[in-house]
Amino acid sequence: MKTIALVIAWMLIAVPLGWGVYQSVQKSMPLFHGQSEPAVQTTQTP
Amino acid sequence: MSFLSREATVAKAGFNRWLVPPAAIAVHMCIGEVYGFSVFNVPLTQAGAGWTIPQVGWIYSIALFMLGVSAAVFGKWVERSGPRKTMAASCACFCGGLLISAVGVKLQMLWLLYIGYGFIGGIGLGLGYISPVSTLIKWFPDRPGMSTGMAIMGFGGGALIGAPLGVKLMDHFRSATSVGVAEAFIAMAFLYAVYMLFGALIVRVPPQDWKPEGWEPEKHLKPMMTNANVGVDLAWKTPQFWCLWVVLCMNVSAGIGILGQASKMCSDMFGVSAAVGGGFAGLLSIFNMGGRFVWSSISDYTGRKTVYSIYFILGALLYCAVPWTQHIQHKALFVAVTAIIITMYGGGFATIPAYLRDMFGTYQVGAIHGRLITAWSIAALLGPNLVNYISTAKIEAGVPAAEAYNSTMFIMAGLLVIGLIANLLVRPVDSKYYFTESPKA
Repeated sequence: MKTIALVIAWMLIAVPLGWGVYQSVQKSMPLFHGQSEPAVQTTQTP
Repeated sequence: MSFLSREATVAKAGFNRWLVPPAAIAVHMCIGEVYGFSVFNVPLTQAGAGWTIPQVGWIYSIALFMLGVSAAVFGKWVERSGPRKTMAASCACFCGGLLISAVGVKLQMLWLLYIGYGFIGGIGLGLGYISPVSTLIKWFPDRPGMSTGMAIMGFGGGALIGAPLGVKLMDHFRSATSVGVAEAFIAMAFLYAVYMLFGALIVRVPPQDWKPEGWEPEKHLKPMMTNANVGVDLAWKTPQFWCLWVVLCMNVSAGIGILGQASKMCSDMFGVSAAVGGGFAGLLSIFNMGGRFVWSSISDYTGRKTVYSIYFILGALLYCAVPWTQHIQHKALFVAVTAIIITMYGGGFATIPAYLRDMFGTYQVGAIHGRLITAWSIAALLGPNLVNYISTAKIEAGVPAAEAYNSTMFIMAGLLVIGLIANLLVRPVDSKYYFTESPKA
């Protein structure tokens, strides 16, 4: 039971974090391909 | 004893401490949304009230200012009240602020956004920032760097989630009569409330005198680490506090100077499109997040003083290398150099609570951390303005845009040298400041 609670708790934060990282990787793709796409508003984390 | 009280959150025997990091990350992941707030700026100017970008920009500035103020002012209350009550208060302020802001957008009253997201939401940011960190340090006396790295990594991750989430929600709610901002605020308020209350629900504090099984504090003492405790009112009168204040301020000033201008800097220095510049900024955000966990965890093995010396020495060398990468037009090398710089910037944020724990003990480390965060507020003004003003002045003086950032890189390296000196001046705290009674957890 404790293990299940632990897995669920970590999954609940891993899923949105993973989604956020995926979004940033997608956003960084033009850097590697040199594509000329419309500018996307940037987000920074001070 | 209420459900929210500290006493109600004391863990029972057999509690798995690995349930606490998800609670801490859940809260940080939500409040980290503040750094994605810029996605609302342009839509807010299109909401029909005639607001300008500088006017809506104040919402973010007030929120960040209040983060620093509330962390400094409410630090002792946070320690006294315990993490559950603090996280619930943080949730009420942050999510309540979003709801008030939604009303402000609907009624076209900008001052409601200043009060809602800026003032009240900003208090939520400060409470939510220090409480989980302080709790994790108490649960992981054997790995304080790793534990604070996890929480503060969540804050970095919050920005990666908040910006695209805001954009997607506005796209979803946009209609002929609405830009979708108010609806997006409401949806985010409920979504974030679920996560923050989840954190408040599962968080626990360790029982008095708890320690990990088989771990003896005395056997793991390092030269720059104490098991004694110093109260916040005395801590901030010590030279160590102010040395660490300078350490944080210089590390953040230098990093924020690059991070805040990443997209434009990449475009100017290498003549790439805005989309490629944006891609560069996105990549740095990931390294910023990862650096928070990796460097902070490494500090458990190297010691905090050593890891900050690495940040400052390696950082200064890499800043000096940035103009050279521009000179030889090596974009990949430029990306690699700046990515390493940004990992150390994130690492600086994440390692500082563990450094405070080493110096002042765990007793009021959250409150001490709260007061140290004022260094962040100063750095947030210093770093971007240095890069902005100097590069703009250079361009106006006729220096090509591609070379306008070179001198700012050397100034950033200089800031890191100041940070290095402050770090080298850090010595163990004089025992006259130690708390003589056995403090309550």
